[in-house]
Amino acid sequence: MFGLYESAFGALTWGNIVMILIGGLLIYLGIARKMEPLLLVPIGFGVVLVNLPMGGLMETIVQGEVQESYAIGGEPAGVIARVFHMGLVWEIIPVFIFLGLGALTDFGPLIANPKTLVLGAGAQFGVFFALLIALLAGFNINEACSIGIIGGADGPTTVYLTNRLAPGLIGTTAVAAYTYMALVPIILPPIIKLLTTKKERAIYMKPQMRPVSRLEKLLFPVIGAVVIILLVPRSAPLMGMFMFGNLLAVSGVTERLADTAANALMNILTILLGLSVGCFMSAETFLKLDSLTVFGLGILAFAASTAFGVLLAKLMNLFLKEKINPMIGAAGLSAVPMAARVVQRMGQEANPRNFLLMHAMGPNIAGVIGTATVAGIFLGILG
Amino acid sequence: MMDVTWGEVARIAGGGFGLTILVLIILSVVIWVVGVIIQKTQARGEKTE
Repeated sequence: MFGLYESAFGALTWGNIVMILIGGLLIYLGIARKMEPLLLVPIGFGVVLVNLPMGGLMETIVQGEVQESYAIGGEPAGVIARVFHMGLVWEIIPVFIFLGLGALTDFGPLIANPKTLVLGAGAQFGVFFALLIALLAGFNINEACSIGIIGGADGPTTVYLTNRLAPGLIGTTAVAAYTYMALVPIILPPIIKLLTTKKERAIYMKPQMRPVSRLEKLLFPVIGAVVIILLVPRSAPLMGMFMFGNLLAVSGVTERLADTAANALMNILTILLGLSVGCFMSAETFLKLDSLTVFGLGILAFAASTAFGVLLAKLMNLFLKEKINPMIGAAGLSAVPMAARVVQRMGQEANPRNFLLMHAMGPNIAGVIGTATVAGIFLGILG
Repeated sequence: MMDVTWGEVARIAGGGFGLTILVLIILSVVIWVVGVIIQKTQARGEKTE
């Protein structure tokens, strides 16, 4: 302009415009529909920012040449490229988000009713189902595992695993995971209704669980970490931080640390994660057939996980004296606490006496443990 | 389409899912056993008092 400097208008492509609209849609869903606003708003704004050409936020130097979008293996030069590199490529952000999650989690329902852990494991079926479909769709085994893990409905685990196995898919899998997590209230009900009768949905579960002592709550993170990490060593970064965060919360002597992990640290990491994932989604990296296929497979993984969780709960009912409401199996999807809230709402619709929230929190938390375990298993085999 | 080694896929998908179930069953049994021990110990302590 005026021979002094170059504006970005000339460099704007149709791809950039499409991506800016997608970013706008994510911001709209976060603000107007209140779907995972803490994630969708920063991700959406990141998408808008990175698709305004020449901003240099994700500049990377590859063999001495400056590239505008982030390139795996290059040297990050843009400010968000540096955050992405240190936070995600070095795996700091997802691992420490697990610390915050641990500090926010109450393991009481799980300790009171340990069989709900099995429901959390069963709901991981969708991960393996989507893995097989992704292979048939032409993705390699590393990419297929990264796509499958979307079915665990656990954003940080998806980011962590994809970064290790298929870094080129990190933006797509992260956005798919977080978008579908936001859509849990829309995805779960039709699948649950399809697989259960009204009578099954109305099965009454006593609202009172046995009281869990402080000693049990203290021992759980330590024993849980030891058992899981000994069995699946590569789950140590995620499970170790998850259990450590929980120990900070239940110990009663580290309130300041637990408060920081659950609030300030979590908020900072969420901003950095959201912006850097959003900024990874430039038109040239995102607008590909592969990305759309990943989105399609992601919802398939979600649906299969939900369905298998419900079916497993129905199977368990064949052997249990005191029947469980099969809807709590759907909460094995680890989208905490939305999946449990959906089950609670549907439970009250079917039987107003039912209060399923605490019963659903058990499989819901088990889902987090299950997904991190699956990630550890994938890394143990392929990483 | 990529060449898929189905033996490896079976190992990862079948073995992986089986291992996930096994790990969480072991964890649930351990939690249950620890819970029973603690509850019994506490009940005995209360009776002694």
